[in-house]
Amino acid sequence: MAAIAAKPAAGAAVDMPSTIVGIIILLLVIAAAYFLVGPGLMFMALIGVIVGGLLIGFGVHFVPVGGAPAAMGQAPGIATGVAMLAAGAGLAGLFGGAWAAEMGVVVAVITGAIGGGLMMAITCMFVTFIYVFGMGIPSASGKVQKDPITGDTQTEFKSQGTEGHGLPFVSYVGGVIGGLLGGAGGTLIYIMLLDVYKDALPGMMKALPAQVLPIAVALAGMFAIGIFLVNAVLAAYNITGTIEGPHDPKFKRFPRALVASAVASAVCGIVAIMIVAL
Amino acid sequence: MTVKVEKIEGGIPHTTILAAGLVAAVVCIYISYANTLTGTQYFSFFGGLGAIAALVWGSHTIKHLCSYGIGTGVPSAGMIAFGSGVIAMLFATKYGIAAPIVAVILAAIIGAIIGFLANNVLNMRIPVMIQSLTEMAIIGALVLMGYSAMMTGSFTFASMTSGTTIVMGLSLPSYQATLIGGGLIATVFMLGAIAVQHPFNACLGPSWTQDRMLMLAVECGFLSMITAAVMSMALIHMAPAVVSLVVAIIGWYYTFYRYIELSKRDAASWLDSKPIPELEGQ
Repeated sequence: MAAIAAKPAAGAAVDMPSTIVGIIILLLVIAAAYFLVGPGLMFMALIGVIVGGLLIGFGVHFVPVGGAPAAMGQAPGIATGVAMLAAGAGLAGLFGGAWAAEMGVVVAVITGAIGGGLMMAITCMFVTFIYVFGMGIPSASGKVQKDPITGDTQTEFKSQGTEGHGLPFVSYVGGVIGGLLGGAGGTLIYIMLLDVYKDALPGMMKALPAQVLPIAVALAGMFAIGIFLVNAVLAAYNITGTIEGPHDPKFKRFPRALVASAVASAVCGIVAIMIVAL
Repeated sequence: MTVKVEKIEGGIPHTTILAAGLVAAVVCIYISYANTLTGTQYFSFFGGLGAIAALVWGSHTIKHLCSYGIGTGVPSAGMIAFGSGVIAMLFATKYGIAAPIVAVILAAIIGAIIGFLANNVLNMRIPVMIQSLTEMAIIGALVLMGYSAMMTGSFTFASMTSGTTIVMGLSLPSYQATLIGGGLIATVFMLGAIAVQHPFNACLGPSWTQDRMLMLAVECGFLSMITAAVMSMALIHMAPAVVSLVVAIIGWYYTFYRYIELSKRDAASWLDSKPIPELEGQ
């Protein structure tokens, strides 16, 4: 019983020594990249990958992830896990942004953000349809008395014994913001790596740029998906699986997820860049 | 979340599965190198068998990790495994014959850093977190490398990125009809990620038994191998691809049959229900 009675360690506390070790790893990776490839395109790409990872890690905290309790109408949020939701929003954004890759970084990143946000908006809308008309449950948050955006009261609609149910308006807005950030982050990683590969692969493989373009696109896409999933799952570990949206108390844990995302993106990013640099 | 929800009773200890899975996967992937030595492609299917060995190890590692109740669902473990594994695997393919060893070492480094981030920086405090995420990254890299070796006949960067295409009788170099250039690696990614997380996701609960879950892992591996064998027809000669397909179908049929037997054994009460009998005179 001692183990069960023990306080859950995965609380909101920040473990300062570990955080400092994480930041030291991050700085070491950035320094190693600077000495290996110099301050050029590849170094900027690593910074872009880290920024993209931060956007993904932060964006996941906005997405209302309900998990299995939400599927039974006992908790608010979308009834699936972070890995599925973030992958859906991020990959939808990535495909949108990849389509606009030729129009420059800014257009592509914004297109990716719109792709991710649109995917989350559609998901949230149909989730609400199914909750309200299919399962017959109203939308009510269990974490706040009033919706921070609309001011609607929540407690009258909340069933006893549940943590709320359905998808309150603030969760919907949070989902769209999360999709925007996730899509933008995934696209930024893709664009940065694509530029590096388009630049370096023709020399490495001794072929024309047009010939190796499929390789550059596929490599950048695979690395972007890999880095995206690592960041999304780390952020999911931070919120221990479920979150209601930006109004949830768990949202305040995001600083340590930013540290973890930055370090993980840097480690994965330097490997992705070294494939053409070494 | 340090409460261990399920415990492992009896069966093969995890370290044995770890050692056997790692050795079998690396050895099988290396046997597929006989393709290069003998100049044929008939040894390709050993890559798929190596991937299956890694998948068996992976499903048990997921069991080890997810029995602590990490709260994010079992599929997330498969996703982070392949997300970190694909990075190590693609980088390692540059090193020719040393690729599987480089993949294992690099995946272990990436996995250990991600495990440290999850366990200490994100404050999850799960005793097996660092070890499990290290293993998961190695598994992801080995499964991807195994299926890639099976589909292209080799595990080097050159064979995954360059092929030949025949246009009007002329053989031209092509970068599009390849594992990476054609984007087939994304399919391999998902085939492996689903195969590694499904066994524990399907078998968890109070009636979990080790042999049933591991049998399901082998079955999922062969099912993914069937798909990989079909896709390999585009990349290697038809005869070796058919050999891979036949091996995969026989393996899948046998393991699926065994899995159904084990499921019947573990079911609380299993009744071979017949169709509703039609009574005469009604």
